[in-house]
Amino acid sequence: MQIWLNYLDQILIMTTLGLSLNVLLGYTGQVSVASAAFGAIGGYTMGYLVTKNSVNIIWTLLLSLALALIVGALIALVAMRLSVEYLILLTLAFGNVLIGVASATPALGSTYGIIKINSEPHELNFFGWTMARPVDWLLPLFVVLLITFFICWRMGESAYGRTLKGIREDPVATRSMGKNTFKIQIMVFAITSALTAVAGAMNAGWLGVSTPSVWGFNFSLTVVAIVIFGGMANLKGTLIGGFILTALDPFLRRVIKMDPAKAFLVQILIYGVLLVVLVMVRPAGLMPEGRTVSSFFRRKDKSGRTEMIARTASTAEPVFATRKSEGAADQATRHAKWEQAEVVLEAKGISKSFGGIVAAADLDFVLKKGTITALVGPNGAGKTTVFNLLTGNIPPDSGSVTLRGKNITGRSLDAAARQGLVRSFQDVRLFQRLTCLENVVFGVQNQAGEKLSTLFGRPGLVKANDKASYEKAMEWLTFVGMQDFANVPAGALSYGQTKLISLARVLSTEAEVVLLDEPASGIDTKWVDNMLDLVLAIAAQGRTVAIVEHNLRVVTELADHAYFMELGRITAEGTIDDLTNSPRLAAAYFGTV
Amino acid sequence: MFAVTIGREIFAQLTANGLFRGTSYGLLGAGFALILGVTGRFHFAYGLTYTLAAYFAFTLHARGTWAGPFSNGIPFIIAGIIGILASSVVGVGIERFIYRPIAKRAGATALLAIFIAALGLGIAGQSLISLLWGQQSVGFYDRGNHLTKVGWRLWKVTFENLDVIQSITSITLIIVFSLILRFTPLGRQMRATRVNPDLATIIGINSKRIYLTCFFIGTLFCAVSAFWYGLQYTVNPDMGARPVITAFVVAFLAGTASSPIRIFLTGVALALLEQWLSMFISTQWTQTAVFVVLFVYLISKSMSGTILGRQVKSIVTFQWARS
Repeated sequence: MQIWLNYLDQILIMTTLGLSLNVLLGYTGQVSVASAAFGAIGGYTMGYLVTKNSVNIIWTLLLSLALALIVGALIALVAMRLSVEYLILLTLAFGNVLIGVASATPALGSTYGIIKINSEPHELNFFGWTMARPVDWLLPLFVVLLITFFICWRMGESAYGRTLKGIREDPVATRSMGKNTFKIQIMVFAITSALTAVAGAMNAGWLGVSTPSVWGFNFSLTVVAIVIFGGMANLKGTLIGGFILTALDPFLRRVIKMDPAKAFLVQILIYGVLLVVLVMVRPAGLMPEGRTVSSFFRRKDKSGRTEMIARTASTAEPVFATRKSEGAADQATRHAKWEQAEVVLEAKGISKSFGGIVAAADLDFVLKKGTITALVGPNGAGKTTVFNLLTGNIPPDSGSVTLRGKNITGRSLDAAARQGLVRSFQDVRLFQRLTCLENVVFGVQNQAGEKLSTLFGRPGLVKANDKASYEKAMEWLTFVGMQDFANVPAGALSYGQTKLISLARVLSTEAEVVLLDEPASGIDTKWVDNMLDLVLAIAAQGRTVAIVEHNLRVVTELADHAYFMELGRITAEGTIDDLTNSPRLAAAYFGTV
Repeated sequence: MFAVTIGREIFAQLTANGLFRGTSYGLLGAGFALILGVTGRFHFAYGLTYTLAAYFAFTLHARGTWAGPFSNGIPFIIAGIIGILASSVVGVGIERFIYRPIAKRAGATALLAIFIAALGLGIAGQSLISLLWGQQSVGFYDRGNHLTKVGWRLWKVTFENLDVIQSITSITLIIVFSLILRFTPLGRQMRATRVNPDLATIIGINSKRIYLTCFFIGTLFCAVSAFWYGLQYTVNPDMGARPVITAFVVAFLAGTASSPIRIFLTGVALALLEQWLSMFISTQWTQTAVFVVLFVYLISKSMSGTILGRQVKSIVTFQWARS
């Protein structure tokens, strides 16, 4: 009986570790193999404190938590600025360093590690409750599991979690919606590290030892296997995965009666093979993202749902508000209006070169309130680069960008978005696995559920705010005529439809200045007019719009003012007619015919 | 006076150790960097192919073929060459039958998916080797006594003949590979694929074939390294764990897109550092110290190009411009 309770304890520990890794790996898409290392921080803290004197384990848990929080934040601070490979490298290296340090430190038992954590003469207690037998551990472990599950679930299945998924799907697009991905990534890494350390401390206490071999590479691998097997970004899957994979050991040893040394190897072999096969055959794992336990057993549900989605996506049409051109005013009138309008964004002397290639040379221009400004020019003139430079996605070498008198030069994409300067992308960049509505609600600024303090501190506020955010998003979805697609994953849309969702996503930020990169290219010709109406409507709301567009008809109908770019320079400005009537510019644009 | 003499001797010995070991680090790093740099696969199973090379060679030499003239064992050198090639073929097979389908399916998240598969592969392979050959180290030496250890001494520095042969093989491989990369059409195609895979495909380079070639060459490097390591030290199922980390560190320190010579020299520098450090700190800490170097490098790398880094830089240039 004691043996089986022991296994149950182990299941609880491994599952707890799986939960926190899933937030990192499944939701945020950050590959870490440092479960063992952060577990070791907890384990050694527990061992060191306990073998010095008998203590209430709550203190060791809190200390482990604090230590891992700091170390995790430091590692993330370095890794998150670099490309993804570096996080793998750093977590691998960190594991090695930590075990190396522990093995070389006499106070931590050197290569033998700390033993007898939970046996004579030491004694663990939890507010006076002695924890000696497996059964004593059951309740505390269960409590730790519950708390970890609650924290992970709250982080993952909320507005916060939506941002995490955004980071996984497309960090650049996430930043363009005003989310400080860097800060969030550090927070998530630190928090999951801290949770891992707490579970690690419990593991060392329960096991009674904390040795270099306990925190070896196989430990991390087991946790990764639990997450992948259970299903990424599905915490309930991790519960199941943790149970099944940890129960493999007693199954091999007690049921099949394999000898312990061999059973261990077979177990690791199975984990390894499982990882390879799952990634190849069923990358979503046992419980794919968004799947609930009950729907797992109702197989019809799945096919029905996909069928419904497919049907909606293929037959539904966007519902556009009426209006076919009450006739945009003629160009001269519009340009006169532009002359009068107030300057919102001003760029002065912006330059950028990549190696020897000059992408932007000494650009000066202004965007004015309630007007539409177009950037036109041949391919490779640097039009999209201008958007990148304005938003700080690429910092300019020199020059300045001011938004309502505030200098925003070369900040970051997300900082610009929070200041009210938001861009769309030529290649759209929707979050494929999120639904249309989720994509649009992504843009809503200052959501209560995006801040950890309110997420955990004021659940009522978060709930109300979520509802309001979704209502707002639905309004914008309706504005672009895509309300019937609210629950369709963005990945199932046609190209033209993605352009509409992308527009709604930009609008939901309620930014004062919107930069639209080719809003009408690649969409169905019969929708072009509707797209024109939408852009005009945006300007009519008093927003400042800049567009890059190749379709001359679109530009002619929309632009109040236009800048002509050639090879990174602005060579002319005026109305579109002014530009198209110049033989030299026409030749530069269309080529000599 | 006496202390200084001792110091000089130790320094010379450590330098020699570092140089010999460094050629192996360099080769490992160059192989891994070739794979990661050109194909973008985070090939954690690199350590598995390392171990396999030694086990293949061992089995062929100790057990031989089922029948025929070699039923008592294939001569050591030949067994070694076959083992190295067989392991390289395994490397190619991993790319062809595991990584490629995964990359195709995973799309944007291919790096993550491939790393996880590679992780599983590496650990499953290691367990399988333990189950088949046992967890203890195997007797990896030339039973025909053609290739045996001989201790040499130059001034006050001692080393083995195998150190020298190992280093010569590594240097030769790196030089030949550099020449291939620089002067042959294959080399140009590899470099083109490394810089821009999409563009390379457009101009008619068969990137699938280039990937397979990179896996062959990369695995060959690690297999050669494993052969000499096995002969000098031990062959056991977890012998690949350390080299794979070493290869990562060397490749990332040098930059995965760097020339093989540069990566090789980074490996040598790292090994020298590791050896020299042992004059000041106990050997248990030298490994850790190497990782500290890595952390410092990554911190400096992460600082450049960031807002903070830019600010520091701009303040410096600003002040310089004013003065």
